[in-house]
Amino acid sequence: MSGIKWRAEFEIGIPDVDHEHRELVDWINQALLASADATQDRDVVLDLLGEIHTKVSAHFALEERVMRERGYDQLREHKQDHELLLDDIRDIMDEYEAGSDSVEERFSERISEWFGLHFRTHDARFHRHLPGSH
Amino acid sequence: MNWLKRILRGVFDHLDGWLDAACGPRFNPLVQLGALGWLMFWLIAISGIYVYVFFDTGVEDAYRSVEALTHGQWWAGGIMRSLHRYASDALVVVTILHMLREFAHDRLRGVRWFAWITGLLLIGFIYICGITGYWMVWDQLAQYVAMASSRWLDALPIFSEPISRNFVNNAGLSGRFFTLMAYVHIFAPLAMLAFMWVHIQRYNQAKINPVRGLGIAVTIALVGLALVHPAESQGPANLDALAASVGLDWFYLPLYPLLDVLGAGWLWGLALGIFVALAILPWAPPLKRPPAAVVSLDNCNGCSRCFDDCPYGAITMQPRSDGLPFSQEAVVDPDLCVSCGICAGACPTATPFRRATALVPGIQLPQHDIAGLRDKVQAACSQLQGDPAVVVFRCEHGAAVSPPADGAAAVIDVPCTGMLPPSFIDLVVTKNMAAGVMLAGCHEGSCHERLGVEWTEKRVAGLRDPYLRDRVPRQRVAVSWASPVQWRARRDAMEAFMASLKGGTETLPAQAGQAGKPAWRLPARGLPGAVRPVLQVVLLAAAMWPLGFLSATPEVQLRAANEAVVTLTFSHAGQHQHECKKLSPEELAKLPPNMRRTTGCPRERWPVSIELDLDGKTVFTATRQPAGLWDDGPSSLFERFKVPAGPQQMVVRLRDSGRETGFDYSAEASIDLRPGQNFVIDFRHPDGFILK
Repeated sequence: MSGIKWRAEFEIGIPDVDHEHRELVDWINQALLASADATQDRDVVLDLLGEIHTKVSAHFALEERVMRERGYDQLREHKQDHELLLDDIRDIMDEYEAGSDSVEERFSERISEWFGLHFRTHDARFHRHLPGSH
Repeated sequence: MNWLKRILRGVFDHLDGWLDAACGPRFNPLVQLGALGWLMFWLIAISGIYVYVFFDTGVEDAYRSVEALTHGQWWAGGIMRSLHRYASDALVVVTILHMLREFAHDRLRGVRWFAWITGLLLIGFIYICGITGYWMVWDQLAQYVAMASSRWLDALPIFSEPISRNFVNNAGLSGRFFTLMAYVHIFAPLAMLAFMWVHIQRYNQAKINPVRGLGIAVTIALVGLALVHPAESQGPANLDALAASVGLDWFYLPLYPLLDVLGAGWLWGLALGIFVALAILPWAPPLKRPPAAVVSLDNCNGCSRCFDDCPYGAITMQPRSDGLPFSQEAVVDPDLCVSCGICAGACPTATPFRRATALVPGIQLPQHDIAGLRDKVQAACSQLQGDPAVVVFRCEHGAAVSPPADGAAAVIDVPCTGMLPPSFIDLVVTKNMAAGVMLAGCHEGSCHERLGVEWTEKRVAGLRDPYLRDRVPRQRVAVSWASPVQWRARRDAMEAFMASLKGGTETLPAQAGQAGKPAWRLPARGLPGAVRPVLQVVLLAAAMWPLGFLSATPEVQLRAANEAVVTLTFSHAGQHQHECKKLSPEELAKLPPNMRRTTGCPRERWPVSIELDLDGKTVFTATRQPAGLWDDGPSSLFERFKVPAGPQQMVVRLRDSGRETGFDYSAEASIDLRPGQNFVIDFRHPDGFILK
């Protein structure tokens, strides 16, 4: 598992949001690393997933506030996407706890998909929507 | 004081239960008394503006214009006038009930002192508006109100001449006084509106409109009362006479009859005593003050959810102070915080899944910390045995929870159900730590922390952040709203929820008219559908009856049938105590150059003494000091005596000089007083006494 490498295109230009994006990537990489490591205790991975769930929740709360404040027109769609990811993380946590082995794969898939799709479409769209950007 | 609070609380809780059954908790008028007060204000304002269009200010014009309005256009002006009166009476009723209810629920502590005190001042405004309103019609009641209010005000040592002297007789009455009254009657409500706005300032999402259906029903009921029992004047005022009796509005004038019993000074004492006694209540023991919520900046990214949810506006979002690259942070004003914990329930970092780092949310109550809550839940669940087993998060202000015989429940007390982060429900349900979770709060319509019930419902339904995750089956999450006396409803909800958990998903009760994904809930056990509308109409009519009755009845007796009134009054400056004298050169030299004059006139005047004999007996003597800081103003007096009608021999004497014995003026008259006649003895310098 290679993890996620921070790329300049992830930056959306709002310091709060970018700071948390970076932090999240660190936590996700830690979890990916731990889950790939067969010697690692499953509880450690589970705790890391729980931590990621918390951080993502808080991060979305902040992002939604910023979007609301700036009158972002697709807040509803964007938020729906947020809630979906939170549901997925919870699913993955439960499945992992239940002992499923394909979870690691699903997690990394879902996360890459998220960073690929949500970032490129939603966050990027919001970025373009910001005044002074193009 | 606390026993009184408990009794009142019991009364209100029972009334809530009955009204919930009759109207449903949302339409229960007792849970929206403040909002009903606002509605009354608007009704009074609209009807008042209409009435004012046709109102003429003037001694005779006032009465005539109101009569024309009442009878000439009963279908509009008459209704508006009646609505103006009855909505005003209803305003007194809802305001007093509002105050009693908040007292009974002890909702006047901490930050709530502000609403309590401004509310008390608002009651003062309501009375100023009401009393000046009755004054303006200038009928018999207005005359009584004018005379009594003047007498009451004259007891204050702030008027150089008694206000009562405006109402000596018809001839002396000035039309300008009505212009003044109209101004007061218009500006007092405007000031009151500003104060009403101040009154709700410290509340987030203050409820200033009643539920629409209730507002419309109450308005229709008041219009109905206006049609059935129109407000009328009580005959034109006549200062030359005193009516035998007058019908009082007992909502506005209950203290007025006491004026004759206690006297003006004691009545002031009584009014002030009531005010002070009420004003100190927020600080009366037992004064318990749980610690305020605290922010952990390391865990706060400034998302502002706690700011959005705080019912008391105790949280503000301020520029970041710790160098982290966020723009804002939550800041709690401890003086405004009531320690309900709703902020912790809103915080996205308050989730029990957080284990890699310590579970410290961005904001929480120190005495009810979220990590401690997780420990409690885990400890409770590990010992929970039964089928089905349920975890109950119970609001401290609601009904008790007693688990039924079959099945088990672990009850965890929280200051408000709004303190529970929805992720805790997710934890218990999806990890099968229990078969179900019940959120057991206080009364649905009158949440002790104002918004706890609403936020809890909306979070569970996925309508307000933080959402309870979609994946949590709602048939395993129940809400039950019940005040302490509604323990039967709580027990029934508990039993039904457990039965439903046993029976599977099919027994999920339908959620009528609720959006989102609401929790399981036992449908409210109301009266049969056909009975409720009938009962509601009966209740509304029953509420209107005292408004109609007490607004003009019972009457108070002002004098016996064969009594007349003698008014003894003067406003007269006594003679100077010292003669003017030529100033000596030495005295002149002491004065500043611009104040030098050849004669010096000391300003002090003699007090004025008066004596009244009726049928050869001295019935009244008085000495009045001069007004003014330098004893240089007029002395004044306004007294009324009830005397038997019939022939009277009257002698009156007045002294305004420094003489030791005898009087400077006197007059006598032999008169035949008619019953109800107002015989005035006035003194005018230099003419002397005027008797008529």
